[in-house]
Amino acid sequence: MFLPDFDYHAPETLAEACDLLRDLGPSAKILAGGTDLLIKMKHGLVTPRAVISLKALDELKTITHVPGRGVVIGARATHNDLVNSPVLHEHFLSVSEAAHKMANNQIRNRGTVGGNLVNAIPSADLPPILIALDAWITLVGSNTSRTVPLHTFFTGPSCCVIDPVDEILTEIVLPDQPTTGSTYLKFGLRRSGALSVTGVAAAVTMDGDTIVDSRICLGAVFPVPVRAHDAEDVLRGKTWSDELLAEAGEAASCCALPITDIRGTAEYRLDLVRVLTKRALKRAITEGHV
Amino acid sequence: MSDTVKQDYAVIGKSVPKIDGREKVTGAARYTADLKFPNMLYGKILTSPFAHARIISIDTSEAEKIPGVRAVITHKDAPTLKYGISPARWDENIFCIDTVKFVGDKVAAVACIDEQTCYKALAAIKVEYEELPAVLDPLRATEEDQPQIHPEFVRNINAEIHQDFGDVEAAFKEAHYVRTDTFVGNRTYQTPIEPHTATSMWDGEKLTVYSSTQSPHYFQYYIAREFGLPMGDVRVLKTYVGGGFGGKLEPTGLEFGGAILAKITGRPVKMFYDRAEMFAHNRGRHRQYMTITSGVDKDGKILGVHADFVMDGGAYTSLGIATAYYAGAMLTLTYEFDNFRFDMLRVYTNLPACGAQRGHGAPQPRYAFEAHLDNIAKDLGIDPMDIRILNARRPNTTTPNEFLVNSCEMKACLEKAREMSGWDEKKGKLPKGRGIGVATGSFVSGAGYPIYRTDLPHAAAMIKVGEDGTSATLYTGATDIGQGSDTVLCQMAAEAMGYTYEQMKIVAADTETTPHDFGAYASRQTLMSGAAVKQAGEEVKTQMLETAAEMLDFPTVDLDIRSGKVFSPGNESVTLTFEEVARHFFVNRGPLVGKGSYTPPKLGGKFKGAAVGTSPAYSFAAQVSEVEIDEETGEVNVLDVWDVHDCGTVINPALLEAQVHGALFMGLGESIWEEVKFDDKGRIANPNLSEYRIPTAMDMPVVHSALVDSYEPAGPWGVKEVGEGATLPTMGCFRNAIFDAMGVSINSLPLGFEKVWRAMKEQREEGAAE
Repeated sequence: MFLPDFDYHAPETLAEACDLLRDLGPSAKILAGGTDLLIKMKHGLVTPRAVISLKALDELKTITHVPGRGVVIGARATHNDLVNSPVLHEHFLSVSEAAHKMANNQIRNRGTVGGNLVNAIPSADLPPILIALDAWITLVGSNTSRTVPLHTFFTGPSCCVIDPVDEILTEIVLPDQPTTGSTYLKFGLRRSGALSVTGVAAAVTMDGDTIVDSRICLGAVFPVPVRAHDAEDVLRGKTWSDELLAEAGEAASCCALPITDIRGTAEYRLDLVRVLTKRALKRAITEGHV
Repeated sequence: MSDTVKQDYAVIGKSVPKIDGREKVTGAARYTADLKFPNMLYGKILTSPFAHARIISIDTSEAEKIPGVRAVITHKDAPTLKYGISPARWDENIFCIDTVKFVGDKVAAVACIDEQTCYKALAAIKVEYEELPAVLDPLRATEEDQPQIHPEFVRNINAEIHQDFGDVEAAFKEAHYVRTDTFVGNRTYQTPIEPHTATSMWDGEKLTVYSSTQSPHYFQYYIAREFGLPMGDVRVLKTYVGGGFGGKLEPTGLEFGGAILAKITGRPVKMFYDRAEMFAHNRGRHRQYMTITSGVDKDGKILGVHADFVMDGGAYTSLGIATAYYAGAMLTLTYEFDNFRFDMLRVYTNLPACGAQRGHGAPQPRYAFEAHLDNIAKDLGIDPMDIRILNARRPNTTTPNEFLVNSCEMKACLEKAREMSGWDEKKGKLPKGRGIGVATGSFVSGAGYPIYRTDLPHAAAMIKVGEDGTSATLYTGATDIGQGSDTVLCQMAAEAMGYTYEQMKIVAADTETTPHDFGAYASRQTLMSGAAVKQAGEEVKTQMLETAAEMLDFPTVDLDIRSGKVFSPGNESVTLTFEEVARHFFVNRGPLVGKGSYTPPKLGGKFKGAAVGTSPAYSFAAQVSEVEIDEETGEVNVLDVWDVHDCGTVINPALLEAQVHGALFMGLGESIWEEVKFDDKGRIANPNLSEYRIPTAMDMPVVHSALVDSYEPAGPWGVKEVGEGATLPTMGCFRNAIFDAMGVSINSLPLGFEKVWRAMKEQREEGAAE
């Protein structure tokens, strides 16, 4: 398997990158970590004539807390940047933990959070926890800049609202929020290098033992990461108990529409949604952002 | 206990560093695919996209026009002599002539100036196929309405075995309890880290092939046969090999196609498989359908066993005839019983051909039998450990299928595993979700007979001492594929010579420069190659002592050599260095050389298939594992494994432990994750390491490895095998631990999470219904 020939660009500024993308049009692809793009190119699944690398744009690699805005994650931050970020450890350790559950160490060193989102694979591990934490993203074009709530970003397997001939995903923002706990539980078929069979993220806002609010997001059981609103409704305003969380788990199963594939049957995935939802909720309620 | 002969050895019994460790760790080691030769071309094989199809036409004209393409070949350019590794069934052609028989069957090949051009050329070859109905279900393969895969094998029966020893029916009649269970195995693949590679080149009429092979000898034999060449005109050699596990025992299209392409172009041609092509070539573990019936007395003593199996062979025989025999033959080893019947059908299907994989045909039947035995123990209210100890084979016994067992510490292995694992404190006392299981295994230390009929010795070795005595080189056909045979054999040579390991060099696995040896399979090299090496070393030692006696004017019988020093026990004034004596020998008599060879004794009975499973010696092992099951998700977490081995004298404890860990790693993968899956067109659904899940370091349990004292009279210094035996108990051991934890029997491999989840769900539903 070989990479076919292509033109390679490594613009020095974001503006230059956006202009290049607009000028080169559909024949160009953005290269971040390359863990998906280069494999697709080697297999001939995408055949760009030009590749625009973001490697010179170091400003897209930072993870900072901006008071009033929240935690701002540069789209080029690698999964291991997320894993090791003191800022995330302080504010949302659950995001670091979710990143650590992805793939294997080699991939985590190369792959980026932006690439993971734009690739829009239903089983991706980062979208559920980011959506549960109400993340929004910034898409920058040659003459535009817009913010999109992450839960509206995905439109189908490998599909999202980004304009592929104009826009570049630059940052992910986890807004300052009242949530008291969050976590992501991944069910893979081995401990490293396994795609999720099912993943469930939960974020909760507690007042004592009362669940003021919650956000639950399911991965790998719907064409896109999907909020389990029915389960959230079960919880809202209630005093938590194992029975209540079990009830939320049952409700979450109703929000999933999994397929049967080589990693598991739809029936199994539905039951995993039930189990993982109640476990994720309990963890978020009792342990905080983990 | 056995007659343990404990001696104070100077070199063996020590964990010396691997002889090639530095090269491998620093990346200096050159594997076959790293080799480059002047003017070398790259070759690739075009394979069938259909499981079963008639070839209407092949048009290579467009491919030939592509710049950089040097040769395009099909069956018209190749010998049509059928080949295989089992002489009983040579059923494969270099390139398919009339029909393709699985997705991946060889149709054509190209040689080009670079790899990229190969893919363009393959894409430009036009093959017109008429798709035929395919046999994809092995259990239906013999039915009348199924397509015929090989015209000469009616109803797709590749091999049919019926063996009957003692009187099984009478044993069942006499039995207190008779039980039948059925289990299904999984198709697994060896997954060596190094892909298969071969580089072929001709010098006049002489063919040289560098190959990632487990057996230069069998490659040489079958390549010479296919091309009608004298064996002396075929040289097969290897550099470093990154694992084989049975999958690199037979030559492939890479060697056969490469030889033709190299001949046509007059240039060296390098051919290789990528990961997906490795899966398609396969020769991995057969999926077996296993029904076992046993009769026991009221104490649980096994009286008779009937094994009735079907195995999916895939499209060709490979080594599968032996696999089919091994499947039943090895069931008689760990427990003593007199009555045994074995029925087996190996059927052809339009799927990749299966062959030998670590443990050969034995691991799945062993899983089935160990699970079956736990079922019986549960029915009779006997502790699974007790029923095994009660039935454990004893030393100096003969199996019903006439295998002679010399050393055997089966009972000691079980007792030690019981003690180490805390069995008695845990069995029946663990919290819900946790369980403990036990299983046994036994394996040959080399096959009693070679793969094709020949009277050649099984192993031979030669040691040449350097002219000044500061080094000695061992020449052996034994094949180090990563397991460490080069290291172990150099230890053995040094021990036998009275020399040091650090001064040993080795030239191995080259049919031209090294003496004949059948190679790395059937766990044979420590015993068989080791016996030849020991003899060669002793011949050097004898000559050394004669020379030293001459130099010292001292009786030979009063001299000895150890660690490079000649001395006389009890007379400290008498001393010479190995170097002084060796140099004296060379000056006065020429090269100092020792030779050795090994042929096993005549083994086995007279019945059909009696040869398979014979061996000069058998290893024995017991494993206990403790698992934790997630009751809601079915996730299986293996916490600890205790492996206790009877493998005779140990030459290198660190390498032995590495073999146990490696075998357990593979056994773990096959138990819980690994399974080659197909779609409804016979295409592999997971020909990659993402969806064909081998365990990672993160998945390995804590392994406690131990040995029992044992000395094997048939092996040099009392050695036996370890490399494959440790794979055998694992699957049954985990199944039994899950059975103990949750009370659910998983009757098919792998014991995947969803399967465990489903079994627990069904158990709950049945419980609710009652």
